[in-house]
Amino acid sequence: MNSNLAFNALGDPTRRAIFEKLQHRPMAVVAIADGLPISRPAVSQHLKVLKEARLINLRTVGNNNIYELNREGILAMRNYLDKFWDDALMNFKALAEQTEKHK
Amino acid sequence: METINLTSIKKEFTVEASQQTAFEVFTQKIDLWWPRTHHIGSSDMTEMVVEPRVGGRWYSKHTDGSEANTGYVLTYQPYDLLVLAWQIDGDFKCNPDLVTEVVTEFISEGPTTTRVKFEHKDLHKLGNGKVVESMDQGWGDIMERYQQFTLNNN
Repeated sequence: MNSNLAFNALGDPTRRAIFEKLQHRPMAVVAIADGLPISRPAVSQHLKVLKEARLINLRTVGNNNIYELNREGILAMRNYLDKFWDDALMNFKALAEQTEKHK
Repeated sequence: METINLTSIKKEFTVEASQQTAFEVFTQKIDLWWPRTHHIGSSDMTEMVVEPRVGGRWYSKHTDGSEANTGYVLTYQPYDLLVLAWQIDGDFKCNPDLVTEVVTEFISEGPTTTRVKFEHKDLHKLGNGKVVESMDQGWGDIMERYQQFTLNNN
């Protein structure tokens, strides 16, 4: 799972808006596009990016493509930062203690 | 078992150093503890800098001579409290409209013991907190790593 992709995908305000819409319920493209000031093809393009980042999944129900949130992908994003701060703060702790010893 | 709010990342640990040393290392020596792999510059990072004042820049310098902003200083209160604004958005660019707070408290517990309370807040601005909070997958992993971290650092 690529967390960088997830961060990149949510860097765009329109994609964040789409992502937030989908938190309420799974939706078809028409419903997602409703209320957004961009064309349907543009919405589809954003959906593609979100899907590639594994933030959303596509399901086909009858003739409709339904998009829904991918929970695992979302958690990966938070884990990425969590891991980063673990590494950074452990470095900090070691350096602070070393600095104190040599005072 | 402690509940972790998934819209923020919290770390708490003690450091065997005075409050002043801990604060100074965190701010003035950030370049020495910041993981070199994590920056948003156009070439390798040569230095990470936090300017020691409110409104001071938080940025990295790079081998090609460029600089990349990470954010700025919101609160600079030696030797108790540092609040940084983290402004790196989902495109790994510094976004002036985005502010997520990185709060670090330094609490003196002895001449050479300092408790550090760290929190990176407002992660919902990068995604969506309600969704993240409602998730039931991945909790085990997070708890395990959180406990490992606090155990290793206490």
